[in-house]
Amino acid sequence: MSVKQKIDARGAYCPGPLMELIAALKLVDIGDEIEVWSSDKGSVSDIPQWVTKVRHEMIGVTPQDGYWSIVVRKAR
Amino acid sequence: MASNPLYIMLCSGEHEKLQMAAMLASVGAVSERPVEVFVSMNAILAFAKGAPADTRYQGGAFSKLLKEKHAPDAMTLFRQGKELGDLKLWACSMTLDVRGWEMSELVDGLFDGALGLTKFLSDAESGQFVTL
Repeated sequence: MSVKQKIDARGAYCPGPLMELIAALKLVDIGDEIEVWSSDKGSVSDIPQWVTKVRHEMIGVTPQDGYWSIVVRKAR
Repeated sequence: MASNPLYIMLCSGEHEKLQMAAMLASVGAVSERPVEVFVSMNAILAFAKGAPADTRYQGGAFSKLLKEKHAPDAMTLFRQGKELGDLKLWACSMTLDVRGWEMSELVDGLFDGALGLTKFLSDAESGQFVTL
């Protein structure tokens, strides 16, 4: 499954990137993946924690140049 | 499975406390946690309909930073929490009476109604209570 949607949330502060991800997840189909770009350090732990809590699926967190790429799959 | 409900008593009108209340409420609500916020005392003034951001949010050094860095707007966070999760906001009925305001003078679309402290306190027995 390829990434369905990319969200560039660089420059947004907590909880902005998480909120953008949640809003986007509502609009895609189960199985689709969303990639979030975030420069907010908290997103690296906050987004995986939220994904686990609400039973979606973490695909990965990858450091980039000054930000992180966080990929999530909608599981339900 | 719903988590332990979170009850937030927001009394301060300081930007930093409004911001933290909005962050707690919105993140809690989108994390499948029922959240209720009771807005009282000075805090109600920040919810005046039509207030510009520079007068709505007042505080010290960190308020200045939150504005300069364009941190998420507290009213927007409350709105997102309501749209994406189970979040209710209540206006303290005593505070409205003292200020001489009706519900119509508060920001549209955020509040679920006016409520007395006794009811809020009774409801909050079932959850975690935070005061800001």
